[in-house]
Amino acid sequence: MRDYYTPTLKNRAQPGDDWIQNIRQQFPTEATLDEVLTKKLRNRAKTAEHKTDFGDLQTRLVRYLKKATGQDDLIFENLHRLSGGASKEQFTFDLTWNQESGIRSSEKLILRMDPTESIVETHRLREAQMLDAMWGEVPVPKVYWTDPVGEDLGHPFLIAGFLEGTVQPEGGDKASGLGMFFEPNLRLDLKEQFVQHLAKIHTVDWRNKGLTSYDSPRANHIEANEWSLGWWERVWQEDAVEAHPIIENAALWLRENMPIVEKPVIVHGDYRSGNFMYTDEHKINAVLDWELSHIGDFHEDLSYTTCQILGTPMDDGSVLTSGLLSKDEFLDKYQHYSGHTVDPKRLFYFDVFSYYKVAVISIATSSRAAYGRKTHLDAMMNLLTGFGYTGVSALQRLLDHAS
Amino acid sequence: MSPEIEQFLSGMKKTIEEVVMPNLNDRFAQEQAGIVAASLGFLGLIQDKTFHYELLENQEYKRVLTDINELLNNTFSAPEAIIETTTKVIDHFDKDKVDDPSHLRPYTFIRASNEVMKELLCEFIQHQPAMSPELRTAFEAIMKPFFKSIELRERSWVKALGFDPEADQQADIADLLYKNGLLNISKPC
Repeated sequence: MRDYYTPTLKNRAQPGDDWIQNIRQQFPTEATLDEVLTKKLRNRAKTAEHKTDFGDLQTRLVRYLKKATGQDDLIFENLHRLSGGASKEQFTFDLTWNQESGIRSSEKLILRMDPTESIVETHRLREAQMLDAMWGEVPVPKVYWTDPVGEDLGHPFLIAGFLEGTVQPEGGDKASGLGMFFEPNLRLDLKEQFVQHLAKIHTVDWRNKGLTSYDSPRANHIEANEWSLGWWERVWQEDAVEAHPIIENAALWLRENMPIVEKPVIVHGDYRSGNFMYTDEHKINAVLDWELSHIGDFHEDLSYTTCQILGTPMDDGSVLTSGLLSKDEFLDKYQHYSGHTVDPKRLFYFDVFSYYKVAVISIATSSRAAYGRKTHLDAMMNLLTGFGYTGVSALQRLLDHAS
Repeated sequence: MSPEIEQFLSGMKKTIEEVVMPNLNDRFAQEQAGIVAASLGFLGLIQDKTFHYELLENQEYKRVLTDINELLNNTFSAPEAIIETTTKVIDHFDKDKVDDPSHLRPYTFIRASNEVMKELLCEFIQHQPAMSPELRTAFEAIMKPFFKSIELRERSWVKALGFDPEADQQADIADLLYKNGLLNISKPC
């Protein structure tokens, strides 16, 4: 039995109904985010540590696929676990079945499944809807099936088409693709596409895309930013394993300096190297990891993507955005392709926001998941706090500048 | 007591890197084994400094909370909620006195006391919007160097984990913790 240093830490480790209710009221978020975060808290005290035993995964998966397709004659082969990533458990397999077109064919598929607790707690239905919405707009995998409840495999999951391509160049063994190095010729070929896809994401008419699991924030209002900040404030309050004065001060600054959003757009939420894939011909063939997507201010993605801690340090002391291009070049190209005008004041606000978010994810949630032994990546979750504290340092330096 | 902890850790790291990892065929298992080896290497570097890290923080938080309480004692405009936090600080200092010989306490006592003090400081920070402009300015003046010291200490602590693009510009944690061979605190513990 563990001792808790304070009542707050005990409540976080063993959340009761009243405490959960209080958190929900104090930090309003979108309905589906509230759903997954509340579920996480309710399960926290009930569930044991996460087990990485997948002895019966194939049996359960085949049973699910037969039910989902209504086909008993499907052929399931080559189930393999994927390395890389810092969030979901991922597997690939080959499936032969009669597709909607009536043609019987084989396809390699990817299963993305939640662990008991993850470095980010997100909703598989949101991810599936956003991937559907982006189909035909920017390159994304095709989603086949989603179970946001986790009834069939024990955890929520999503099954999509597996795309062949490269996420990390040869030798680029960076955790989650952070700070990845691309050779100059590769940079030249990829950087334009990288910016174009983000500009496209931000200019898609999201109101006609069937995003029913997303709440729609009002235009010319702070609502979108209130939800964004509320999300991460809530996660901090739920997951932090120790109080942190700098994080607390940053949350207050973000609340007191919150700008309005004139025209809300789709925000990817994690647009960077490691979250796109390219072919041997150097064509980006997939934008991945949409689980943090929401409707908000385009500056949020711009700040996050150009955030120095996510960039690639070069020998001359400069830092390349996602290892591809300088921040200035990225912003110039973005304005050109999107038609949006970048507001430096808002960019600064979201610089602070981005480091706050990085700190919440990498110090609070990653550490909480490892503390409860709730993920398949407990060792990695501990290690990632180093990323988080480096982010806190950058956050404090920004706040110093702001004052 | 022998072997020392560092020896245990380096032995495990070597075994994982030179025996286990080359014989793993599964890419996910290789990746995770590499992370375990990196964690062991990090622990080897910091394991003998954890007690003094917490002891230094214990003294730093006592100092800043004392300064804030003194500031609030000298003002007539502090709202009720802030006074409540002040009272909690005083109550806590009954359990872990400012001039307590903290270095004689067990690690968990210091760690627990530090967590209480961190939560109390966060309460003060949350109360800033309720402060008068003059009080808030004075509060911010106390906090500014304190934030800086936290930031430098934490960044130095984790620099060996390999995420810091400016790691070579950060001080070694030993250089922040110790001065002239002693713990680098302004008041005796």
